Amino acid sequence: MLKISPDELKLVAQYIHDISGIYLDQSKSYLFETRLGAIATEHGCSSYKELYQKARSEASKIIERKIIDAISTNETLFFRDKAPFELLQHKLLPELIDARTPNSPALKTNLKIWSAASSTGQELYSIAIIIKEMLPDMSKYAIKLLGTDISDGAVAQASRGKYNKFEMERGLPGDKLQRYFTMFGDSWTIKDDIRAMVQFRKLNLMLPFGGLGKFDIIFCRNVAIYFTLPDRQKLFNKIADSLADDGYLIIGSTESLTGICPRFIPKRHLRSIFYQKK
Amino acid sequence: MRNMTILVVDDDPVIRRMLEKRLEKEGYEVLLAEDGYQARKILPQQHIDVVLTDLMMPGSIGGIEVLDIAKKISHDIEVILITAHSSVDTAVEAMKKGAADYLEKPINFDELFLRLEKIANVQSIMRNAQDLSQAMDTTESAAAVTIQNLEIRSAELQERMDSIEAILRDDLITPYDRIDKVFDLLAARDNLIT
Repeated sequence: MLKISPDELKLVAQYIHDISGIYLDQSKSYLFETRLGAIATEHGCSSYKELYQKARSEASKIIERKIIDAISTNETLFFRDKAPFELLQHKLLPELIDARTPNSPALKTNLKIWSAASSTGQELYSIAIIIKEMLPDMSKYAIKLLGTDISDGAVAQASRGKYNKFEMERGLPGDKLQRYFTMFGDSWTIKDDIRAMVQFRKLNLMLPFGGLGKFDIIFCRNVAIYFTLPDRQKLFNKIADSLADDGYLIIGSTESLTGICPRFIPKRHLRSIFYQKK
Repeated sequence: MRNMTILVVDDDPVIRRMLEKRLEKEGYEVLLAEDGYQARKILPQQHIDVVLTDLMMPGSIGGIEVLDIAKKISHDIEVILITAHSSVDTAVEAMKKGAADYLEKPINFDELFLRLEKIANVQSIMRNAQDLSQAMDTTESAAAVTIQNLEIRSAELQERMDSIEAILRDDLITPYDRIDKVFDLLAARDNLIT
């Protein structure tokens, strides 16, 4: 494995922060080596400095994309941590549907939900499955489910909706597996009716959100933990701007907004916490 | 002991016995089925890690059907098919249905043992990963309870600070009354939800 020097560590860490907002601890040089070593070798670079220079000067941004794919953590599961999905099903969705249902039966109920760091899509598909089970007659609703992630590789896999058995291992009850997936060899593919409900696209949370509009529910779980404090403050401030006044924000179960965004107040429901704007 | 149970399914008694002997010598626990029907009976009753089945067997339960039955019981059961050279295409089809591998007749035992070792390695990595993720879940949910309590508590304290500030700035009441009110608020602190 290609070794990284202290100078290169500084350079590469700064570069990764610039392109992704992800802050990597420079004391963990192995992390840089295990994740970037193969990319350096593949592109014929004999040092990380060379890789850095190549990545920066390359107009096609192929190396930059590979670095982001390698650096971003894509560990997600279907129904990861049951609590937020129970919260969604038993409190947030029923309340929002009540609030959003128009007086005229001719009009549809509009709902917009955003999975802000959708990784390989499991979170958003889990949300789609819950909605499908809750609302048998979807014709009365116009529900937009958007998933965004910084990694092209993750967005592509999410859009395919195809998972190997390691990615399926936990979280998904057997009946849901049978009902919503088709098995082929050792992999499972989400069925078309669920896939048609969702949309994935690339987005760097550090950049302006540009034209996404306002959402009724935003999931932003376990991504801000990779950012510095000032970057977290900026992120949640932008998220507050993108959330409807009576909308809901859900963050990771071990995350906190104390000292990060005073515009949100935490509220408790059973075993979970959600946030609303003041 | 290798800690792995293998179900051998073959209608040929000579092959059955040979596989049993060689596999037991390697330290595997071996169960035998004379055909697909017997395999169907054994599979739900025993914990089986690997099924080693002939592709072509008399009756309507052949190797492919055994594969289907095993996978329906648990996706963790790995199935290796034993095929004649002429039926390699069928074996490839079986891989698409979730078979781990296939072996051509006559069985090369070194090859078989290598495949089994590979399966054992993957299974132990999977178990390890499951243990780790369970440990992570436990840590995470314990941390979540602590963090959520702190989150709510700090929000309540912030709210109280805001109320105190509002009282202290209230020009409509006398300074003494303001202090009284502030003390009232502070006295209520024991009622904070923890």
